[in-house]
Amino acid sequence: MVYTRRTVWPLVIGIIMVAYAYLVQGGNMAALIKFLNTGRYVGEMVTLGYAFGGVAILVGLWQLLAAPREGHADYYLSTVAGVMFIMLVAFIVKWGLDPLMGMWGRAAQPSLGFNFASVLNLNYVVMGIVAGIIVVNVFRVPHWAENGVRLSRLGLKTGVILLGALYSFAELAQLGKLSVLMIGVFVLGSVWLVLLIGARRHLPNSMTGVLSSGVGVCGVSAAVAAAPVVQAKSLEIAYTIGTILLFGVVCMFLFPIVGKAFGMGYIQFGAWAGTGILNSAQVAGAALAFQPGGIETLKVAEIFNITRVLFLPIIVVWLAIWYVRREQAAQRSVQQVNAMEVVISKFPIFVLGFILMFLLSSTGIFAPARHYQGAYFDNSEKALVRTDRAGKQIDNRLKADEVATLQKEVDKVTRADQKAALTRLIENKKIMSEADDATVRGVINAKALSKEGTAVLTKAHRVVRHTAPKISKFRTLIAWFFTFGLVGLGMQITMSSIRQAGGAPLVLGSIVGVIKAVGSLIVVLLLVAETI
Amino acid sequence: MLKADRVLLASHGTPGARAAECAALALAAPAATIFHLVVVPDLWKGMMGDDWLNNASTRAAYGRHVESQLAREIEEHRAALEREVHASGRRYELKVVLGEPSAALLEYAATLQPDCVVIGAPRPKGAPGLRSRMRVEKLAGALGAPLLVVPHPG
Repeated sequence: MVYTRRTVWPLVIGIIMVAYAYLVQGGNMAALIKFLNTGRYVGEMVTLGYAFGGVAILVGLWQLLAAPREGHADYYLSTVAGVMFIMLVAFIVKWGLDPLMGMWGRAAQPSLGFNFASVLNLNYVVMGIVAGIIVVNVFRVPHWAENGVRLSRLGLKTGVILLGALYSFAELAQLGKLSVLMIGVFVLGSVWLVLLIGARRHLPNSMTGVLSSGVGVCGVSAAVAAAPVVQAKSLEIAYTIGTILLFGVVCMFLFPIVGKAFGMGYIQFGAWAGTGILNSAQVAGAALAFQPGGIETLKVAEIFNITRVLFLPIIVVWLAIWYVRREQAAQRSVQQVNAMEVVISKFPIFVLGFILMFLLSSTGIFAPARHYQGAYFDNSEKALVRTDRAGKQIDNRLKADEVATLQKEVDKVTRADQKAALTRLIENKKIMSEADDATVRGVINAKALSKEGTAVLTKAHRVVRHTAPKISKFRTLIAWFFTFGLVGLGMQITMSSIRQAGGAPLVLGSIVGVIKAVGSLIVVLLLVAETI
Repeated sequence: MLKADRVLLASHGTPGARAAECAALALAAPAATIFHLVVVPDLWKGMMGDDWLNNASTRAAYGRHVESQLAREIEEHRAALEREVHASGRRYELKVVLGEPSAALLEYAATLQPDCVVIGAPRPKGAPGLRSRMRVEKLAGALGAPLLVVPHPG
């Protein structure tokens, strides 16, 4: 079979992308960029525009002029058009719709009394997924783009694998422990609850089995993995997947709103979204919706997601054994399941990539290990005194008036360690160690000094914390992989599937889903601290 | 009463469709042919939803499972209806199509030129089943043959 479709669209998309990059580079879009306030994206507009546009033009020309022959090359090249289609949607959303929505939100604030764009978290991630959902349900994914759209899950997996580089041993150990505990309780608890209620209400074993995996573990993916094992009927599958998709899309919008209403931090929200959202694809969406400008929440949420995924083979084996026993007890013939075969076939191989990436980055092979974990500490003169493009020297150490402000207020601090850290800061005009930095942050958070004094401390703290440019770019790359993956996955959420939500799975799934979301919210608020 | 030689029956094994099958048999002339159309709704194409973390083998196993389930349900339905049609001395022909139900029926009717088309009425609210139905208004406007919509037994 030849997969490549002869179409002019990849070429057209490529020309649009290259033309846009060219116009941005030449300064012709300056007025629009200024109007949308997207100056910070100019670099990626040019780089991504040329890179993706160039590939799209080359492949588009090949698809138009060459006669594709059956084989691997044909299959892989047939995905390019769809990838470009997703990227074009993502570009429009991130560089156009996202800033526009922010402007509209601010403009409507006086009339509405609130900023709807901010309250509803209408940032590029959420709008990208919604754009994908609109594309597939209103316009339909073009035939020439179908193979590429299916590739979007590879984008998400690649994003997760690359994310592995950004964890420290301490972070991974502590988040890992927390996630195993929470996922253990809530995943096993919700699977058990569905099985219990299903048995009490005399629902078919196959229906209860597929629903429990979907509601308990990781949504659609778990239902897909468990359906053949519990011999789920077609209607039961449709009911279950419809229910999970409906619940997942609602949660993706609702969770960030609730998280912000409760004033949750990145770790709390990541832990809650990673535990409480039924469908694993929407966990990444909700995390990026909560914190579109950074990936700290995503890092936490993905650890929880990975833990859930690791639970999947175990749950599927459990369900297989449960199903066989129940069917045998009811004296119905049933095929035995090889547990080891199930565990091996359901094991998520991409998690190995995540672990490998973590191990490699820990060796310092890509960059010094301390560069990976957010902003690292550096108070050297090289880091604090810089020369700008005009050749002017910028000294970020404390100025005389700032030192004077601190000298006047140092006695307001009573704790010895805090007083010592501030004294060292005053003497050296910079924070002297990572420990001092932590102490100074404590003084800032306690608001022990006046507004002016706190502002001086905040500045002193910021200038010794740096993000390595290489890591900053790496984070942007990861965010793009997730954006690509989520827009593409949005294009696979059809309203006709969601409409199938119904029957006992809708009632039971909703009850257990809400219990899991509310239960995990309470646990996170009570027990999860905002620092790891 | 109309006695048709070529009856196009669209049904998929639900109680409503069962009522349509009985009506089709009642309408058919003694030596008529019942052309049975089973539409597998194209919503099944989206039934992997946004699954992203399964391996290809798991997705393939799921695909095979869904296909075999649908095939089994269609086969059970076919066997029962074919038996009934043959017992009444009429001929039976089955066609299975993947697509949008109304469009699939219109396309098949255009090639078949039946004397009449029989379908079941939409399911009452709350009755179990897939949310995928024939759009009667679309059919009524485009079909070249009389359309009989049989009321749901519930």
